[in-house]
Amino acid sequence: MAAEPLIKVENLVKHFVVRLGAFGERGATVYAVDDVSFDIFAGETLSLVGESGCGKSTTGFTLLNLQKATSGKVIFQGENIVSLDEKRMRPYRRELQIVFQDPYSTLNPRMTIGEVVGEPILFHKLATKAELPECVSRLLADVGLPARFAQRYPHELSGGQRQRVAIARALACQPKFIVCDEAISALDVSVQAQIINLLLDLQEKYGLTYLFIAHDLAVVRHISTRVGVMYLGRMAELATREQLFSNPLHPYTRALLSAVPEADPELEKTRQRQILTGDVPSPLAPPAGCRFHTRCPIAMDKCKAVVPEWREVVPGHHVSCHAVGMETAG
Amino acid sequence: MTMTPVNLSSTVADDEPPVSLWRDAWHRLLRNKLAVAGLAVVILLAFVAVFGPWLTPYDFLTQDLSARNQAPSLAHLFGTDDLGRDVFSRVVYGTRTAFVVAIVVTAIAVVIGVTLGAMAGFFGGMFDRVVMWFTDMTMSVPNLLLVVVINASLKTPITAWMEARYQATLNPFYRETIWVDFLLVFGSMALISWPPYARLVRAQVLSIRGRPYVTAARALGLTNRLILMRYIVPNAIGPLIVSVSAGLGTAMVLESAFSFLGVGVNPPTPSWGNMISDGLRVWQHYPHLLAAPAAVLGLATVAFSFLGDGLNDALNPRGSK
Repeated sequence: MAAEPLIKVENLVKHFVVRLGAFGERGATVYAVDDVSFDIFAGETLSLVGESGCGKSTTGFTLLNLQKATSGKVIFQGENIVSLDEKRMRPYRRELQIVFQDPYSTLNPRMTIGEVVGEPILFHKLATKAELPECVSRLLADVGLPARFAQRYPHELSGGQRQRVAIARALACQPKFIVCDEAISALDVSVQAQIINLLLDLQEKYGLTYLFIAHDLAVVRHISTRVGVMYLGRMAELATREQLFSNPLHPYTRALLSAVPEADPELEKTRQRQILTGDVPSPLAPPAGCRFHTRCPIAMDKCKAVVPEWREVVPGHHVSCHAVGMETAG
Repeated sequence: MTMTPVNLSSTVADDEPPVSLWRDAWHRLLRNKLAVAGLAVVILLAFVAVFGPWLTPYDFLTQDLSARNQAPSLAHLFGTDDLGRDVFSRVVYGTRTAFVVAIVVTAIAVVIGVTLGAMAGFFGGMFDRVVMWFTDMTMSVPNLLLVVVINASLKTPITAWMEARYQATLNPFYRETIWVDFLLVFGSMALISWPPYARLVRAQVLSIRGRPYVTAARALGLTNRLILMRYIVPNAIGPLIVSVSAGLGTAMVLESAFSFLGVGVNPPTPSWGNMISDGLRVWQHYPHLLAAPAAVLGLATVAFSFLGDGLNDALNPRGSK
């Protein structure tokens, strides 16, 4: 792992202000992402997992400056990109790409596949018009599609094929970093495996770095270098794949991992499940102190009042939980 | 590195030509008999409107007082009116008036509506709210009332002003009161016609600008102008085409309604509306004077309506099933 991170996320905050009530008379703040810090190293796959609405997609969007951050920094190539306006952001856009969840709305229905993939190449002047067909066929070959698909329209393709086109469009920019925002969640299981393998092949071929936003822990375990667990807009735990899956420290991570079924029926019988009670609190009024304390099996008085510090307990293993320090101390 | 082989035969056959959404819609439209009939009538009427002067045997103004109120015959297909003018020729010229009014009014309304609606949807905020106030305000006033009030209150002062300008400059332009008619008729009709377009386009833009492909375009770094031109407008235009097609028919009916009430295009310029108005006074004796323009107006309205429905089904195939 390189010492210097490719992207440094520092205290990133994204709040949405919403209007409530019949006449929008009451304002409220959604604490979508609250004080999240992590590094992304070149060549790795960092996965973000968590329940729906925990802010993992918002983190991805804010990181790419597709939504304006409320505060905090995202340092890429020495520049805090979330403070840039659209014009100064443009050169960085080419290097930071995104693949979306829904393959049916990710492509402009009025453009052919060739136009979809060719547009970023021409816009960023990565090739001349004459070289374009060649470039497009090479990109389509990269994602496992035949060159003749360039003449097709999105509605003529299956979901998996469209997702391949979306990946080719991201690749067309020759990016360093791609956010995969639930990029496989909407696909059939068999197609999911194909797309995951494609992403891994491309990572190897082009030295890509991924931020992989997902909720399927089996997939995350398969592809990640490191895994971050989010809960209600905050990062609960961040560690390498091995650390996180073999030695989860945060009670929320433990509950999440215990929910993954075992493939082996013998192991499945003896599997210890830890069932959380209650619902995720509303992000409009998150609990004070540790956000997880309302559902945490080991919550203490301190957890209700004091926000746990984000600390590195073992090298590379970050967690925010009051109980973890006590465990290691005691 | 090896690529995972994929079975690609599922959706696309090699020999099938690619089909764009527009061509797809066109094929669907051609399969719809009513829509094709509507399209044929619209094309026929447009042809008549353009080539009217070469199609009519008589001038629409020529009076033949020896042949007044004649029933339809080979010499006068739709008969003659109370001044001995050929009704067929007048209906043909009325088609011209109807098309000119419908096209100009719809064009003005579309330009205003699309510009304001697209900007309101794209930029949102205060601009959006002000535009929507104006559309709601305009739509809350009864159409006919607004037009009648505008025409009644502005016609006299503008005509007087033109006369004064003529006296002062002797420029013959100020003698052409037809321009006052056009200004007032087109202006007031456009004023009541733009809000639906603004709302439609705004709603379209609002729904499209949140779609992932627009976010993807932003992530690619494309400029706002490119995103509007290549992503938002082409995807928003389908419902607009439907609305314009229906709007052309509505504008013709509106023009006739205003002419009927005497606030539209003034005689002797023939318009279906003022012909119907004239015909209504004597319909017990000379029904053809009412029947001819009313039938053509009805035909045009039905044709535009069928065409609009067909376009709607063709451009929004999911909604029609």
